[in-house]
Amino acid sequence: MFESLNDPVDVLTSFVDGRMEPLRFRWNGRVVRIARITGRWSRREGQNVIQCFAVEGASEESFELCYDARRPSWTLSRAWRTAGRESSS
Amino acid sequence: MILLVDMDAFFASVEQAHHPHLVGKPVIVCGDPSRRGVVTAASYEARPFGVRAGMPLGEARKLCPQAEYVEGNPEKYVALSLRLLDLYLTFSPDVEPFSVDEAFVGLDRRLSLADASEIAASIQREVDARFRLGASIGVGPNKLVAKMASGVNKPRGLTALSEEDFRRVFWSRDVQEMWGVGPRLAERMRSLGIETVGGLAHAPETELRAAFGVVGAQLREAAWGRDDTPLVPYHRGVDPKSMGHEVTLERDSGSAGFLDGTLLRLSDQVARRLRTEGFCGRTVTLKLRNSRFETRLRQRALANHTEDHLRIYEVAKSLLAEMWTGDRVRLIGVSVSSLERSASGAQAELFEDHRRDHALTRALDGLRDKLGEGSVVPAGSLICRHDLGHVPFGAVSPRRDPESGTRADGSGAPPARPTPATRRSAARHNVRGAFGNAPRVPRSDPS
Repeated sequence: MFESLNDPVDVLTSFVDGRMEPLRFRWNGRVVRIARITGRWSRREGQNVIQCFAVEGASEESFELCYDARRPSWTLSRAWRTAGRESSS
Repeated sequence: MILLVDMDAFFASVEQAHHPHLVGKPVIVCGDPSRRGVVTAASYEARPFGVRAGMPLGEARKLCPQAEYVEGNPEKYVALSLRLLDLYLTFSPDVEPFSVDEAFVGLDRRLSLADASEIAASIQREVDARFRLGASIGVGPNKLVAKMASGVNKPRGLTALSEEDFRRVFWSRDVQEMWGVGPRLAERMRSLGIETVGGLAHAPETELRAAFGVVGAQLREAAWGRDDTPLVPYHRGVDPKSMGHEVTLERDSGSAGFLDGTLLRLSDQVARRLRTEGFCGRTVTLKLRNSRFETRLRQRALANHTEDHLRIYEVAKSLLAEMWTGDRVRLIGVSVSSLERSASGAQAELFEDHRRDHALTRALDGLRDKLGEGSVVPAGSLICRHDLGHVPFGAVSPRRDPESGTRADGSGAPPARPTPATRRSAARHNVRGAFGNAPRVPRSDPS
């Protein structure tokens, strides 16, 4: 099931050819490696543009991360976990 | 030739594309799944269980308890919709967004159906390759035929029809399948002995005019597959006819204070949207739905146009006083119609010595543009805010504060003063419609 979180997270990020990509992030004391970016979009808060990413971790793991350049900071906005099971990396 | 590109189960498909473990599973997109509300979109896997857009979530859970219930993300769908429009623009400069998941694409008139179909197939391949999404496309000589053809074969269908083909395919079908004929109109037509599209095409025009006015004659023409409605590319834009917001309450409410605070919040959102898009309106409509799902609408015209939330609120409040009998309310909505470009309305307010209010409103709008919709809201609208259900776009959508873990008024904000004629504006209007606010499009079921 999906869980709405809005948890602040530390994200290792690459900036290559003007493109920003999250590579892995620390959450709940664990490091989640990002296997694939499955979607990207942006949203606005006033003049501020928030960059959002849908990413896949290990099997049956799926997350949405948002980068706020104003602060700057990353937020884990949503996580999908199998019922009764903590996600792992 | 005209194409109508219709994204298949758009919202649900976007979630499946972004979260591949959902592929092949029933997915139901809604508001906050932990709250009450309605189904916004259902994936094709959920539809065999009887789940449909607009259905109360409780009913959907009974029909399909195993589905994944995913909170919709309007900003995400708008962003994807805009990127899809950009893709269509690589095939033709004439693209008219019809809803968040549908767009007309105008092609050279001299193209044959076969040539247009090849372009349509290319669009389908690109949509799949770039977004991992499916699209059904209708091809026809006009918008009506393209639109109806797009629904013939779904999902990922491609149907090309000439006017003659249209008649062959649709004349035997129920009259309600005609674009523009809803259940009530169809019922009235049946009472006149018009059961099929072909029956409508052959009904005496005088009889149709007598029964349905000018619409009757127009529908008769449409039943022949004829339509001269021009395609209006988004860069030319079309002015909206109304703007509104509505919300399904978390719990049915019989509290006058709560309803009043909710009205203020909705009025503020409507007014903010009017100002952002550069409009003012004259007719305020209040919509109420009670716990028995009985829906009532009442409207009142103002003496002059306004974009001020307090004036809208005052009228909505007086309508509530007239309509509300004290029964428990499930849904409440405010909309403003009879719209004009805002210059005349603003002038009128200046003449009424509302200069200070006007300046204050502009200053507050400036704050919201800069900091987001949740930065400033009317204090009276904060009454019972924790009980207010999900309404996207700004101040009325409570969300969890990352610092405290408590819910606070969030700020999923619209862009700073978008030009009304832009495709962004069009897409935003339409996605608002799909998420329970006043729709601009005839249907709310992205399929």
